[in-house]
Amino acid sequence: MKPDVQKVMVNSFERIMTDVAPHITSEYAIGSAAVIGLMAFQTAAEFERGAEIRVQENVAFREIFSDAAGHLEESDLCRRLQAAAGSSDTCLLISALDKTNDELSALLIELQTHIELLDTAWARTLEAQIWNVLGRAAEARRLPHPMVAE
Amino acid sequence: MEEIAEKTATYLAHRNPDASDVVVHDISRIHGGASRQTYRFRATWTESGVAKERALILRRDPEASLIETERDVEFNAYRALYPTGLPVPEPVYLETETKWLDRPFFIMEQIEGCLAASPFAQDPYGPLAEKIGEQFWRHLGDLAAHDPAAIGYSAEDEYPAGETCWKTALDYWEGEIDGDSLCPQPIVKGAIRWLRRNPPPPPKKISVVHGDYRTGNFLYNDEGEIRAILDWEMCHLGDPLEDIAWAADPLWAFNDTRPGSMIDRASALALWSKHSGMKIDPVALRWWEVFSVVKGLAIWISAGKEYDAGNNVDPILAFSSWYCTDVHNRQLVTWMRDLIAEEERL
Repeated sequence: MKPDVQKVMVNSFERIMTDVAPHITSEYAIGSAAVIGLMAFQTAAEFERGAEIRVQENVAFREIFSDAAGHLEESDLCRRLQAAAGSSDTCLLISALDKTNDELSALLIELQTHIELLDTAWARTLEAQIWNVLGRAAEARRLPHPMVAE
Repeated sequence: MEEIAEKTATYLAHRNPDASDVVVHDISRIHGGASRQTYRFRATWTESGVAKERALILRRDPEASLIETERDVEFNAYRALYPTGLPVPEPVYLETETKWLDRPFFIMEQIEGCLAASPFAQDPYGPLAEKIGEQFWRHLGDLAAHDPAAIGYSAEDEYPAGETCWKTALDYWEGEIDGDSLCPQPIVKGAIRWLRRNPPPPPKKISVVHGDYRTGNFLYNDEGEIRAILDWEMCHLGDPLEDIAWAADPLWAFNDTRPGSMIDRASALALWSKHSGMKIDPVALRWWEVFSVVKGLAIWISAGKEYDAGNNVDPILAFSSWYCTDVHNRQLVTWMRDLIAEEERL
């Protein structure tokens, strides 16, 4: 697709804000147009990075699972962590990556809940590591706003 | 829009049998109130031979919204607080029958010549920020100081127990998250577990909690006078720190360290304490600040669910689910990392 999707979306945002919204007479419609424009702006960023941030997040979750499985006693959770740690993203469609990310996120919640009840130094370290991974993931997903310099 | 105008005029004539020639003019929908469909209009009529006119607001239940609430919660707040002098619009009619406008609604006074700031605008109050901020925190302190039973908001036997009001609030919003999430939410679920492991002390007193007290939910005029505090649909009884935490949520201060882009945090909290007559326990306030972000995420998650299901495809619901979730997830994970590290040091 040429011109690039990012360029088309950002230009669409600018056109909505400067050329479309000012000519709408309904207050409600002006608000809707502005919101649609903002989402076009944010879609530009997501289109470019969407697959990359999901793959990186899934990789980070699998590393956590691998580490955790090495410390946990043999259990159903431990087996599922090992299986997830050994998986990989073979399809790069956003929908496929999201599906995998949902499965890994659900397992991460289980792991967090489990280790929060353990009174060991390793559990505390892993708990902090998980929050660091979640922090990096949230930051990677930061949506741009046209009024905030990147 | 003409149909709503005609139906509203018919309703107003029904409520005021002394009125004749009731006409609704200049009706237009206001953007942003995604929990209610909000319309402004002017009503004219003749009463005892005298021509009359009034600017009014119609708040009608949507088919689906950001927040699922009963419209009488909001109307009851206006009814109780209007006589206290707190700046709120005068409530006029509450209607729960669906035969008039298809869904329940209420009508209240329209506050003219004012505007509401966008929480997503840079420095929305400009040189008026200090003046508006002083009133904003003073009004919130005054609200907390009121005895809910004395102002007719609620009977004393309906007060929640101070020891468990945090749990009632947290249970409710976790239920919304669990019921409406379109994908697993490790950040907010981790925060909820932390909140349950570290409950706050009971409130100094049970107060009327606005529930959505923030930049964007009040009207002010050109002189910087707050004329109306709006959007009471999440009003309830509880710990007044809940309102402080929500008002100070960084989401409502776009790119600004001042809560709500008004006055600095220390001055804001001091004003609240002075007018509420209560000291703020910093540990309790921290709990409610984490809770506020959890509550925010519950609202954005629910908005996304409604949009995704096609119940309400207003773009503001999709935007809330994208942008506000993003901001709040980053805020929450930052706080959680600090809290976990602090626990490790102790």
